[in-house]
Amino acid sequence: MIKSHHVEKATGVGDPQCFKGEAGAAKFKVGDRVRIRNLPDIFYTRSQMYLREAEAVVVKLVYESPPAEDEAWDNTDSPEWFYSLLFKQTDLWPDYPQKFSGDTLETELSERWLEAV
Amino acid sequence: MSNSDDHDHDHNAAPMVEEISDFEVLEVAVRELCIEKGIFTQDDHNQWTEYMHTLGPLPAGRLVAKAWLDDDYKQLCIDDPVKASLAVGVDWVNSMPSKFGTPSDYCNPRILVDEPKVKHVVVCTLCSCYPRPILGQSPEWYRTPNYRRRMVRWPRQVLSEFGLQLPEDVEIRVADSNQKTRYVVMPTRPEGTDGWSEDQLAEIVTRDCLIGVAMPRADRKVDDKRHVHKAIHPYGH
Repeated sequence: MIKSHHVEKATGVGDPQCFKGEAGAAKFKVGDRVRIRNLPDIFYTRSQMYLREAEAVVVKLVYESPPAEDEAWDNTDSPEWFYSLLFKQTDLWPDYPQKFSGDTLETELSERWLEAV
Repeated sequence: MSNSDDHDHDHNAAPMVEEISDFEVLEVAVRELCIEKGIFTQDDHNQWTEYMHTLGPLPAGRLVAKAWLDDDYKQLCIDDPVKASLAVGVDWVNSMPSKFGTPSDYCNPRILVDEPKVKHVVVCTLCSCYPRPILGQSPEWYRTPNYRRRMVRWPRQVLSEFGLQLPEDVEIRVADSNQKTRYVVMPTRPEGTDGWSEDQLAEIVTRDCLIGVAMPRADRKVDDKRHVHKAIHPYGH
């Protein structure tokens, strides 16, 4: 039975729990306004195109984990903080009805995708 | 080939599955390679498959019913959903045969609590992330590109297609499950359920309520018979 280092680390602990404490100090805090960077994603990403360059508010620091772009290649060397971000639907979609300007979308991105506004 | 007027039964039995998709072929090929290379064994695979078949939405329905009756438990659902899930028999880490999840089933649940003026709904625009340990397999429509593309873009219209017309003063919050968190919606407790027991409440929290595309109703139970609309022009008439 072959087991990767990641499996040994996560067994009985859980993923992403097994990366707790590995990302260092978080760059952003709850309430911060951020913009989603439009980074290249030649090989793999989970950062959706519809979020790129949109602004959002940090609502929760959710966990530490290697970003998907690294983890896809079994690279778990550099875990990052992940943030739950709240977007206004009217910021994401140009023709979203202003009548429903309170509608929002929440999703998560890792720290490398965020820049302070 | 027999004539149409005799009744020789020389035809072959119809195959149960007429064709399998490329993805199914790929799955079998990769699985067999993994077993051959010793990455996992056939027993591991059987154990995992059997585990997946034990899953369903009942524990999540029970969790919501408990939270409706117990404010402390509701707070635990918000603060520590892994711990809250233990009370309904789901251990996000150790229930799974792997004892840590899979590259898709992560151990980071989050309960999205609806408010009278805030309605949550869950989608995975990437593919099909779903809180399987507590909700079972996702429905087919949840995995379709149609639902995934349109729920983030036109949530009100898609919800109305599910029969859920949200009032204009209710804000909708779409959760796109694109990383390691697996969302479960805790809807608001419906009218007409005063004095109900936990068992009674759990019966009205359907899977669709837990995804967020429906709201629980006092008169609709999980195991109700669905109304059948008779065809207006039945085939062959």
